[in-house]
Amino acid sequence: MMQEATPETQGRLIPGIRTARAKSFRKSLRKDSTLYLLALPGIVILILFAYLPMSGLILVFKNYNFNDGIFGSPWAGFSNFEFFFSSMEDSLRATRNTVMLNVLYMLTGTFCSVAIAITLNELRSKWFIKITQSVMFFPYFISWIIIGAILFSLLDYDKGIMNQLLQTLGFSQVDWYSSPWLFVIILVLANIWKSAGYGAIIYYAVLQGIDTSYYEAAKIDGASRWQIITKITVPMLIPSIILMTLLGIGGMLKGDLSMIMGVTFLNPLLLPTTDIIDVYVYRTAIRSGEFGFASAITLYQSVFGFILVLVANKLAGWYDKDSKLF
Amino acid sequence: MNKKKGWLSLLLAAVFLVSGCSQGNNESAASSSGSGNEGTSSVTDNGSNDGSTLAPAKLKIVLYGDESNRMKELAKTEFYDVIKKEINAEVEFQFLPWTEYGGGKTDLMLSTGEDFATYTDANYMVKSVAKGLYADLTPYASTAADLSKNVDEASFKAFQLEGKQYAIPVGNKPNSAEFYSALVRQDLLEEAGMTQVTSLKELEQFYDKVHAIHPELIGYANTDARRILQYDYTDKNLYWQNDFIALDESVKDDKIISWFETEEFKSYANLMRGWYEKGIIPKYAATNVPQLQSDWNSGKAMFWAGTAARPFEGAATISQAVPEAKLVNYFLGSGRPKISRGTYSTAFFVSTAAKDPERYVMFFNLLQKNQELYDLFAYGIKGTDYTLDENGRLTRINTDSLIPDWLLMNKNFIRFDNTVPDEFIAEYKAWDDGAIISKGAGFNFDNTPVKNEETKLNGVFTEYLAPIGSGFSDYDTAFPKALDRLKAAGIDKYIAEYQKQFSEWYAKQQ
Amino acid sequence: MQTTENKGLLIFFYFCITVFSAICLVPFILAVSGSLSTEARIAAEGYSFWPRGFTFETYEFLFGSKAQQILRAYSMSVIVTMLGTVSAVLVTTAYAYVISVKSFRLKNFFAFFAYFTMLFSGGTLPWYILCTKYYHLDDTLLGLFLPYVLSVFLMFLMANYFRSIPHEIVESAQIDGAGHLRIFFSIMIPLGRVGLVTISLFYALQFWNDFYLPLMLVTDQNLYTIQYLMYNMMANIQFLASGNAAQVGGAIIAPPLETAKMAMTCLTVLPIAILYPFLQRFFVKGIIVGSVKG
Repeated sequence: MMQEATPETQGRLIPGIRTARAKSFRKSLRKDSTLYLLALPGIVILILFAYLPMSGLILVFKNYNFNDGIFGSPWAGFSNFEFFFSSMEDSLRATRNTVMLNVLYMLTGTFCSVAIAITLNELRSKWFIKITQSVMFFPYFISWIIIGAILFSLLDYDKGIMNQLLQTLGFSQVDWYSSPWLFVIILVLANIWKSAGYGAIIYYAVLQGIDTSYYEAAKIDGASRWQIITKITVPMLIPSIILMTLLGIGGMLKGDLSMIMGVTFLNPLLLPTTDIIDVYVYRTAIRSGEFGFASAITLYQSVFGFILVLVANKLAGWYDKDSKLF
Repeated sequence: MNKKKGWLSLLLAAVFLVSGCSQGNNESAASSSGSGNEGTSSVTDNGSNDGSTLAPAKLKIVLYGDESNRMKELAKTEFYDVIKKEINAEVEFQFLPWTEYGGGKTDLMLSTGEDFATYTDANYMVKSVAKGLYADLTPYASTAADLSKNVDEASFKAFQLEGKQYAIPVGNKPNSAEFYSALVRQDLLEEAGMTQVTSLKELEQFYDKVHAIHPELIGYANTDARRILQYDYTDKNLYWQNDFIALDESVKDDKIISWFETEEFKSYANLMRGWYEKGIIPKYAATNVPQLQSDWNSGKAMFWAGTAARPFEGAATISQAVPEAKLVNYFLGSGRPKISRGTYSTAFFVSTAAKDPERYVMFFNLLQKNQELYDLFAYGIKGTDYTLDENGRLTRINTDSLIPDWLLMNKNFIRFDNTVPDEFIAEYKAWDDGAIISKGAGFNFDNTPVKNEETKLNGVFTEYLAPIGSGFSDYDTAFPKALDRLKAAGIDKYIAEYQKQFSEWYAKQQ
Repeated sequence: MQTTENKGLLIFFYFCITVFSAICLVPFILAVSGSLSTEARIAAEGYSFWPRGFTFETYEFLFGSKAQQILRAYSMSVIVTMLGTVSAVLVTTAYAYVISVKSFRLKNFFAFFAYFTMLFSGGTLPWYILCTKYYHLDDTLLGLFLPYVLSVFLMFLMANYFRSIPHEIVESAQIDGAGHLRIFFSIMIPLGRVGLVTISLFYALQFWNDFYLPLMLVTDQNLYTIQYLMYNMMANIQFLASGNAAQVGGAIIAPPLETAKMAMTCLTVLPIAILYPFLQRFFVKGIIVGSVKG
């Protein structure tokens, strides 16, 4: 894949490089050597802690035992994938749920983060921005177990605050924990709440880097606040939004087990929508102690995500070649 | 510009130098990972207590939980000295969080060939032995002579696979009929004007009466009552091998029962549905199981599943919230012998890569050797960590946990504290009288031929059958689909394989 | 230019942010109040904004005889966070700069080389074998941060910030004969400082929050970080509370499960939450000083 991707992208850059080459080949080489040097620590880290351990992917196709070691253990072919793909109904549902939740998270999360960043950018009170910015970060620290406990005290059928509220308003109680589709909304809200502040800080930092002269010029032209936002601020954020989306798409098939465990307590009645791949693997393979099965499905998630990213990256390239990831 | 380059390369060089330096530290563990050096320690002289005839050895014992300060001190002083004197070994204790038990870092340490020992259960043992991670301890079992006197034979059998001993059981406590009794809040029972519970009807009466007085209390603080209720829905004496398979202990045969496909399961599920609808099991139980536990602990529940020790174990916890709480075990029927799996609390295994497995076994032996050593490992030093009154009752001065006493717990050595009434102790010690050992005790299923089926069945269980079994879904409406799923996941093949292995094993036992 | 429409919009913005911040603050207040409540009342009545039966019991239980160990773990966390953040920011910005240089032929290759590791990982076992048997990072200070000094996600973010710096500035520097090192240190870093502050903060949080590296690589209690210590205690409390290990002889202490969860959140989050605004200023200053020297 790497060999395929690079020559093509090189081709597009050739004009720039060619002129540099023409000027002085040796100079460019020397220039590049500095770049290699700068990248070197990162390359070493990636090789040591990511690429060398990847040799372990071979284990997915093996029946590991200690005496024969990683490489000597007998081959298992694709048998580690079998449990997952032989129950199509379950694996399809798990895949669908994962993609559905991730798409929802991505859309709502990005929207909220961008909205908060833009709003912050409009405010003028320095201390207010500082305080709210740190407060919005808090949820990011709080573990899903605790969020789940707090949500439970809101949504419990008998004693939950929501149902008490509904009753005093004259409505009937809602059994939140047995309504799978209602819970999708709750999960989405919980996700926004937990990560929107974190995301907003990323976008806000981009906005702070924008040259203020753009705004001044617009103001002189008599643009309203709303016009400035839609005509200047939002377009400035587009490349970052694309980048964040591309980075997220690779994880399209990966889900957060700790979130579902914390928030739904793995309630069986909610599984029709909350049974994401990681949950399914947890309650089948990991519960049975078959860790080989679990890593096989991790590979499935990676490969699927990889394909999606290649496509998305191509699409991003058509839109604007600078916004490609690689 | 050149200057700057120089700085950068210096920085890089420094980073690598630092990483280089850290390499010298831990060579010792890495040096050996072979597994064929079992016979090298030339010790055959059992019986002898004198450690000096043994070559010095180094052992690493992994324990789960938090290392207390006192444990840290003792591990370096008294524990160290005693073990050194007894078996001429230097023992290092390493503590891991409970999350790493039976997997996680324990698995990693085994897979990288570290030399250590820790405790296990039958499930984890079967999986690990298949991967070649546990040392075969059969040749050294005789080394644990003192321990064998204090731990029953069925417990040893439970950790054998194809006649080989892969772990040494520790502990000896009455644990027959685990979760077969209803552990009832006697104080509430008396408040409701009742004295005892002998049937399901009386148990439900108890709930109704207490519910009328204390509507804020929940009934049953668990989601599984198949053992408590068996006296009502069946005449068999059922004992579960796992979620799917039960044995009938009232007949002497090798037949296994596919639990979910029985009429008994249907009756049981309907009973539970009744409990759920009535509120004996609260509505939130479908979601928040941990809340049940904390409701029980804080005295907000009426009954729980009982074991021999729970009347005083549990009372201590509840009495923090409700000082007058009193707990009593009741069976909802009589005439069926209590069933035991063996009286061990846990079992120690040794990693394949261990240089001297025999010495590890000698160490396990010390844990259950005699009263003196038991007191030391469980309670510490007399006078400093605990005192004994004239009746042999224990008062701990230092409450730091040492080698966990649930692990060592042996009825031959255990010491009770002042708060436990004499009749409780008598009852506790007599709990196992007349109990039978399960006919499946010591059978360990090899799941290799049905790995896929077992994995898928677990998925069906958590989604469809657990809610039916706990009464969250209605049997009549939900079971047909659940049964389809069971069949699709391969329950028939799984049961057939289990039956085949069990029959073979059973025939050998006769 | 202030019209009423603009003013209305501004008030609306202040309102939105205030509401959202308040919602974010709620669980935190619940956590603080929960940690100061008694276990029995929390179990019975649930969480509240004001402690139920105000008490320091939970903290006494947690600290108990461990005050010294907790202090040591805090200082270990501070050291790891500082060393980790500084080295991570160096490694990350350098790599990010490389892939953001428009004229660099292999920038896409390097970007891909990094991105690939975000998707595929070989699992824990080989990683663990390499770290302990070959790199010998077990029980070393280095092992507590080195594996995490390049977060590919943050690296791409940083590259994005670099790319948003107007290209003309770089070009004019190149015409003046500046090399990559000079451009990197005296243009990119000062101009990208907002991004730099952002990723520094994220890194600081990552190192502060991490308990996985100590769990995997550390057995020496002197190297425990506060997060790992808390993780360890929590796992143990959960085990005790599950009723599997109740003691028969001797005093039994029922561990405060619910309040302990809350107290641990406070103990790990509070320091960094309080320090956050100061940290921000500290990072900004540090970067300005650093770039002037560079």
